[in-house]
Amino acid sequence: MPKQATHFWTIFVNRTLALVLVSQIVIAIGVGVALVSLEIITIDSKMLWYVVGGLFLVNSIASSLIFVYVIRPTRDLLAAIIHVSGEQPALKLPDLNAKKYERTGFSDALQTIYGLASKKDAASDIATTNSPVVAASAITDALDNAICGFVTLDHKRAITYANKPAPVRIDTSGMQTLELLFNDSDSLNSWLNACEEHSVHAEHTWTRIPNRLPDQEDRRFFDVIASYQKGATAETVLTLIDRTSLYIVDEENLDFIAFAAHELRGPITVIRGYLDVLGDELEPVFQDDQQELFRRLVVSSNRLSGYINNILNTSRYDRRHLKVHLVEDSVAGVYDMISDDMKLRASSQNRLLSVELPTNLPTIAVDRTSMSEVFGNLIDNAIKYSNEGGVINVTAAVNGDSVDIMVVDHGIGMPESVVSNLFQKFYRSHRSRETVAGTGIGLYISKAIVESHGGTISVRSQDGLGSTFIVSLPIYATVADKLKAGDGNNEGIMNEGKGWIKNHSMYRG
Amino acid sequence: MAIHTVLCIEDDRFIGEMYVRSLKKAGYDVDWVVDGNDGLITARNKDYDVILLDVMLPERRGTDILEALRGKEDLIPHSRVIVLTNFEQDDESRIAMQQHADAYLIKAEITPKKLISVIQQLDGMTPEPQV
Repeated sequence: MPKQATHFWTIFVNRTLALVLVSQIVIAIGVGVALVSLEIITIDSKMLWYVVGGLFLVNSIASSLIFVYVIRPTRDLLAAIIHVSGEQPALKLPDLNAKKYERTGFSDALQTIYGLASKKDAASDIATTNSPVVAASAITDALDNAICGFVTLDHKRAITYANKPAPVRIDTSGMQTLELLFNDSDSLNSWLNACEEHSVHAEHTWTRIPNRLPDQEDRRFFDVIASYQKGATAETVLTLIDRTSLYIVDEENLDFIAFAAHELRGPITVIRGYLDVLGDELEPVFQDDQQELFRRLVVSSNRLSGYINNILNTSRYDRRHLKVHLVEDSVAGVYDMISDDMKLRASSQNRLLSVELPTNLPTIAVDRTSMSEVFGNLIDNAIKYSNEGGVINVTAAVNGDSVDIMVVDHGIGMPESVVSNLFQKFYRSHRSRETVAGTGIGLYISKAIVESHGGTISVRSQDGLGSTFIVSLPIYATVADKLKAGDGNNEGIMNEGKGWIKNHSMYRG
Repeated sequence: MAIHTVLCIEDDRFIGEMYVRSLKKAGYDVDWVVDGNDGLITARNKDYDVILLDVMLPERRGTDILEALRGKEDLIPHSRVIVLTNFEQDDESRIAMQQHADAYLIKAEITPKKLISVIQQLDGMTPEPQV
């Protein structure tokens, strides 16, 4: 085994002590011989032994004290050198800021040696990696050159280490924060909250987490693997794999979808606009079934507009860019937004739409426009999947801390196997592919919207008997404090004070 | 203050004509320009009660026009600005526009009838329709 610098110290101390001891013995004997030969003391006198013994003892103690004093700087320098070399330290590291060192200027010497640690070149790294204990700096260098990002968090969730590839932002005060845009419903923090409550050890993986918003520079995508170990110094270890090249293709597709949807909006603006205008103007001259045919034009253009909104919102949601602004509102207020359109849709397809919303329902925390799209999607589905002349019931009731809004149809229903896949993107049941037109994203985006409200969406269905979709939204009073605390850009649908009005909430880029 | 005069800055001919036709029928006095530079000049030269502002305009974007009109100082204190767009803006630009606008609407969701009702809401009163 090669000798390490630490060994030098033991050998050096032992040899020097031996040397001191031997030299004291020689001095004591020399003095004894001199005293006897000068006949100051006789050889058989007890006095001789007292003098020689005493001299040896006093000299030994004195020289030992001098020895300890003399070797201290050597010891400190060696300890510092061993530290810089990356060996496991056996000696206590000298304190750079100790008063005694500052007084003498020795701290400068130590500073110089410590400074070498950061300047160590590659050659010395190779030399030290030959030793059994790898230098910490060598590991740091290796991690900084790795493809994956590594981040460790302590129990307060503060970053204790992050290598270079990790997406970490450093603010002006030197605070490090993770630069990752998790989905609100499935964030690192919410997972850590759950871990702290329930787990000793846990792991979790997120895919496709961006570090920046779309259109911002250097936007990258990461797969994030987190491992949590309660009580460990690095309680959470994050491994971040840069998957930008893989996901950017999807991103560009989504960009294209968003772009295409916008192009479609232009003609739809004109179609819907003129239908609205002409409906009034032509009413007196409509003949026979022209009125009904005209209504179908209106219904179809409205539906087309709804689908485009679904596509835009889905593209937005998948790019982690779907935002809702929750304010206090009533279920009836939300439904009012689409009431006329739904009535028209149901009657043009010969369905009976019965809406019974109790007047004494508590208010909910809701983004009126996006939630009205959810209601529209559910009612649209109920119309599609029910039979000619079928009844669709929309009701609402309080359920604990939530208000449940139910959309019930008595149509074709679904078997169990279909229900479990229902909220997936582009999922369309075998039967619906054959008989019903649609994009397969209505329920997917509805679920995303409801969940971003802190609510849930569920379905009960019996094959052949119909389906019930239930949207549960938190009662405003139960979340009011939270909303107010986290507010900042909570804008009302209509702000009376400033008098500005908007008819959208989610198509914002 | 009753709203009578409307400036429509809109480059899509079909959409522009549609708004102008409906607004005129509803009794408003409407001027229509199709490019951004003309839009800015016209808005500064005459006191309009309402300015309908598109975002994606030739020559000068709606964002720049609004910034020029209401950025540093309010050059049109007597006008209401309704931003009308089908374009999906990024958050920052949208919020910046909303701060200087009285309404921000998606065109595809707004029919002329709804637009008129928004103008009436801003006005708080209904102008007399022309006979």
